[in-house]
Amino acid sequence: MKLKLIYPHHGAQEPVLAEAVLKLGILINILEATVNAKKGELVVSVDAEGKKLEELIRFFQDRGITVEKITRILEIDENKCINCCACVSPCPVEAITIRPDWTIEFDDKKCIGCKICITACPVRAIKSFIL
Amino acid sequence: MSQERGAETLRRYEEINEKIKKGEAIVLTAEEFIELVEKSGLEKAAKEVDVVTTGTFGAMCSSGAFLNFGHSEPPIKMWHCWLNDVPAYRGLAAVDAYIGATAMSETKGLEYGGGHVIEDFVSGKEIQLRADAYGTDCYPRKYIETTITLDDLNQAILLNPRNAYEHYNAATNSTPETIYTYMGTLLPSYGNITYSGSGQLSPIYKDKDLETIGIGTRIFLGGGVGYIIGEGTQHSPQNQFSTLMVQGDLKQMKPQYLRGASFYKYGTTLYVGVGIPIPIINEKVAASAALRDEDIYTNLLDYGVPSRNRPTIKKVSYAELKSGKVKLGDKDVPSSSLSSYKVAREIAETLKKWIRERSFFLSRPAELLPNYREFKPLEARKAEPRVRDIMTREVVTAKPTDDIKTIATLLVKRGIDHLPIVDEGKKLIGIVTSWDLANALALEKKKLSEIMTRKVITAREDEAIDIIAQRVSRHNISGLPVVDSENRVIGIVTTDDISKKLVGRRLV
Repeated sequence: MKLKLIYPHHGAQEPVLAEAVLKLGILINILEATVNAKKGELVVSVDAEGKKLEELIRFFQDRGITVEKITRILEIDENKCINCCACVSPCPVEAITIRPDWTIEFDDKKCIGCKICITACPVRAIKSFIL
Repeated sequence: MSQERGAETLRRYEEINEKIKKGEAIVLTAEEFIELVEKSGLEKAAKEVDVVTTGTFGAMCSSGAFLNFGHSEPPIKMWHCWLNDVPAYRGLAAVDAYIGATAMSETKGLEYGGGHVIEDFVSGKEIQLRADAYGTDCYPRKYIETTITLDDLNQAILLNPRNAYEHYNAATNSTPETIYTYMGTLLPSYGNITYSGSGQLSPIYKDKDLETIGIGTRIFLGGGVGYIIGEGTQHSPQNQFSTLMVQGDLKQMKPQYLRGASFYKYGTTLYVGVGIPIPIINEKVAASAALRDEDIYTNLLDYGVPSRNRPTIKKVSYAELKSGKVKLGDKDVPSSSLSSYKVAREIAETLKKWIRERSFFLSRPAELLPNYREFKPLEARKAEPRVRDIMTREVVTAKPTDDIKTIATLLVKRGIDHLPIVDEGKKLIGIVTSWDLANALALEKKKLSEIMTRKVITAREDEAIDIIAQRVSRHNISGLPVVDSENRVIGIVTTDDISKKLVGRRLV
């Protein structure tokens, strides 16, 4: 599951992620981080489901962090896509593959949201839902 | 025994068209023809099949359209002209213009260009036309701004000086940086491979000796009917780099086969759909039409080298490229195309359907295309400055063991910002800038080795200044040590040298 964590002002001073890993024993992988004077936002991939996931979300919320579940990272607009495959080989995690009929297949679960495919697409058919 | 190019020994164009008229012509796509040859052999397949259809759908930068706007009241002799803010070429009669695929919007830049204007026209969208003029006795108007659609134009003729490259080089990148090219996004350190062209469906490769493809050949172009009007620019048939100049009525075309595109940090272009019917007039043509991806090779070039002579990394077949993995050393490198094989297939199928439905007939070329053309480079005959012309030869260098305070004093005295660090053999091992030194003094560091940057961006003395300027801005640095082939420091070049010693293109 991927989560977007929006930190409150001055919230970035506490090692909340480390605490979550230690206390709840859930592995957290940071995919993207934006920290500046205006905001602190993280996109993380967490190794948790069901009750454990809810526990983790509550843990963050208790510390003033707004949590959004990321159900979709990217969308490929099929009406725009020309199936040229320019996005396929730049993808570092093989989240975009080619079907036997030479159309593009996108696997949201594998995607780490690096967005290299967005600029690689010559017809701007790929849209991101995160950060 | 050698037969004349274009010899109609198996069947004549008239016979093929007669069969099409009667609905008896045997038409297969190149993929189906390959299958048939594998099953029944070349000779039998060649006897059986009248026409093989092909297709390609890729980015073709040398594309554009001639437009005639009609005359306004009072009339104007357009001087400059823009379509959706994209400049069109106006060195023609009063209201004729050419919109080229790579011309870019003066307001949207790399995101919107002539290719998009053409797609928008074909999609039926309204286009904003703006033109200025100096005014003449016969054309008094000096400015016009209006909207037009494809229907409003008297003529809209797609005329592409170079389309349908027979095959194209594949691309990879040896450098440690991601680069953005007309071959798409190329990841660092041979991270991926891109290629273009439909291989076994490629129109010209299916008649690689140009026995049937010539001036006047009727083709599928952008979803409508078009014609080959000659060899394309950079036509180099002896290297299997033949190209075509084509034209067709834009008003017949369809947006799914003419798509405006933009390559990130490169610019705009047009994806063009081209399909050519190959009449199987002799066995040589049949053999060419039967070539498979396994038989069609291209060179994988290193686009990390910004030169017209990019080094070849490997010879690779379209079969290997299309498999999605190419072996480089002991690594399987992901490969993917920039052109669409799916749409290429669609084009070959559509063309087959047109012929079977008797709405498309074959034409014998008025003249075949040349099968030899020299491919000449452009020599920059006016001497252009190189690194050696602007670099400082007397370089102050230091050893890693040198004391920071002593060196800082020296830099201040000599007014130097970049200090290459060398070993006993004068070989470059690091660099320290005045900024690094200021930091080091504040943090009370002692030796240069503690603070030097070990991964140094360097220049060679024979490199062009444009290449250096690009390197400087990419790495956000202000100076590069110049090294010889042994990595010995022989000079230094700074952004100051580039801006002060060069005015325009001249050395001062």
